Amino acid sequence: MATTHEDLVLDARGLLCPMPIVKTAKAMKELEPGQVLKVMATDRGSITDVPAWAETTGNELLEWHEEDSFLVFHLRKHD
Amino acid sequence: MADQEKLVIMVTHGPEDPELATIPFVMAGAAVASDVDVVMGFQGEGCRLVQKGVAETVSAPEFAPLAGLLDSIRELGGQFLVCSPCVKSRGIEDELIDGAEVCAAARFVAEITSATNSLVY
Repeated sequence: MATTHEDLVLDARGLLCPMPIVKTAKAMKELEPGQVLKVMATDRGSITDVPAWAETTGNELLEWHEEDSFLVFHLRKHD
Repeated sequence: MADQEKLVIMVTHGPEDPELATIPFVMAGAAVASDVDVVMGFQGEGCRLVQKGVAETVSAPEFAPLAGLLDSIRELGGQFLVCSPCVKSRGIEDELIDGAEVCAAARFVAEITSATNSLVY
């Protein structure tokens, strides 16, 4: 898989529902439109929560995948 | 997106039921994170959750601890309204957390009727 560039990394590993989304929303506020946020999470609910959040807020989920012990999401901030 | 969406979440369970005390904050956290305006209304035992020092004692398995959730919701613009008779009957009207606003029934009605949707826990 090609490596996705990111402008900011959020380590949400160990956080429980809904804090990965809350932290993601806060981190996104620090970015400019078009920049990319990488989120690492261990909460399995993130698999459905992150896409739902992206849909609601108009941000773009570029890709997500599983590493050995955690999930990785790349999100592009909306214009 | 159309008009700004608003969610009213009524909380009637307190520290005696950590799970049902926590879930409304989980929903509120997800909502403020999704750019939805949130008003939380606390009635009955629910009002104890906005008494100083109480949120720190509430945690439900597999959910984020209540105190951190509460702080995040407040930071992202969530409002906390507390039932006036409920706090008076418990003698806690002078012990509420910063940002908690004491109000009565008509205010709750106004918030609910102007909201996109309401949840009652």
